[in-house]
Amino acid sequence: MTFRFVALAAIAAPGILSAQIRASELGTVSQVIDGTKITLEYSRPRARGRETLFGTKAVKWNETWTPGANWATTFDVNKNVKVQGLPVAKGKYSVWMVVRESGNWTVVFEPDAHRYHMSPPDSSSKQVRIPVRIEAAPFTDVLTWSFPELRMNGGTLSMQWERARVSMNVEVEPSLAMTFPAGEAAAYAGRYVFVEKDSAGKDKTPTTFTISHEDGTLKGQFTPNDPYLKKFALVRIAPDMFAAAVYDKNGQIYEVLKPDMVLEFKRVGGNLTFTIRDGDDVLYGAGTRQH
Amino acid sequence: MVSSRLAWARPDFPHPDPRPGITGKNVLTKEQLAASPRLIGLFDSVREIPEVLDGIRCNCGCTAPPELRSLLSCFEGKGMARDCSICQGQARLAVRLHKEGKSLREIRTAIDAKFR
Repeated sequence: MTFRFVALAAIAAPGILSAQIRASELGTVSQVIDGTKITLEYSRPRARGRETLFGTKAVKWNETWTPGANWATTFDVNKNVKVQGLPVAKGKYSVWMVVRESGNWTVVFEPDAHRYHMSPPDSSSKQVRIPVRIEAAPFTDVLTWSFPELRMNGGTLSMQWERARVSMNVEVEPSLAMTFPAGEAAAYAGRYVFVEKDSAGKDKTPTTFTISHEDGTLKGQFTPNDPYLKKFALVRIAPDMFAAAVYDKNGQIYEVLKPDMVLEFKRVGGNLTFTIRDGDDVLYGAGTRQH
Repeated sequence: MVSSRLAWARPDFPHPDPRPGITGKNVLTKEQLAASPRLIGLFDSVREIPEVLDGIRCNCGCTAPPELRSLLSCFEGKGMARDCSICQGQARLAVRLHKEGKSLREIRTAIDAKFR
């Protein structure tokens, strides 16, 4: 029995040898972004004192290499996404990289998800092949996949090992439209008298709530200003129902407060009113538009 | 008001059709809710409109058919709604909208908009 065969048998029988200490321990990283779940499963090779890995017998130049070890790294996604602007259909893929001494590397998403690292796929039209730039990074001993940046509609997927880092922009399909048609904005825009309820359900002193249409988005703001909400987006989630969405310092929406801050509008006798309720359907307050 | 508790909870099965003649007899009683007295009123309200709750999919993501048929099921048997704020929130919304005269279709739309 050759060493290679023994190693393969060990990997193929995890039930028997699951307590075995491995050179490349199995790891997973999973991230949900707006309902899209992305999971990478991979064995994690270690540099083990080797200063250089790329361009050596560990990972040869121009090799189609799985950024992991043993069974190829897998990328599993439950909805369609875009990686570096290229569509990747929902499903499970094995992940490979064509490593080059100079120029871009190529990340390959191969539909055959279950492949051993010594069986890289040939190029095919079924693959998604993504050119990626290699960045210099601090030395990383254990090959690591991560999501170091997240946004409302995507994030950065990163692989780091030795002194190389590959970063890919992942875009997910948004579940909500943040924009609001200008032609419909007048139905909600205006100044409202807003009465907040206290913990006993009694009315507090009336304040002002203003709805405007700015930069293609319906926005709301309390006066005096709420320090957490500031000027926030109103995201339509159903007819006459909106969720509050708060902005970060860069003007990017980072949280939609659903179900925790939902506005429901009603038209009664020529008056437009709204309520704000939380996830327990507790009334936070009510507003009436001023003529 | 800040929470991300629904980030993972987006079941993709349809709303169930309410079973003809469904009753609220299996909804937990105040005796069974002795450890959760603040929920007795909610369970009582659910018991009064089983034909509505039985036509609503539960969006909490804790379980799925066939173990859980509808939102009504969350208030029966083991009464998982006792410990699930999503189940409670959905039911409170359904009860209120039903009192406001909304149809089952409108209630489903509102619940999906807020909790899915």
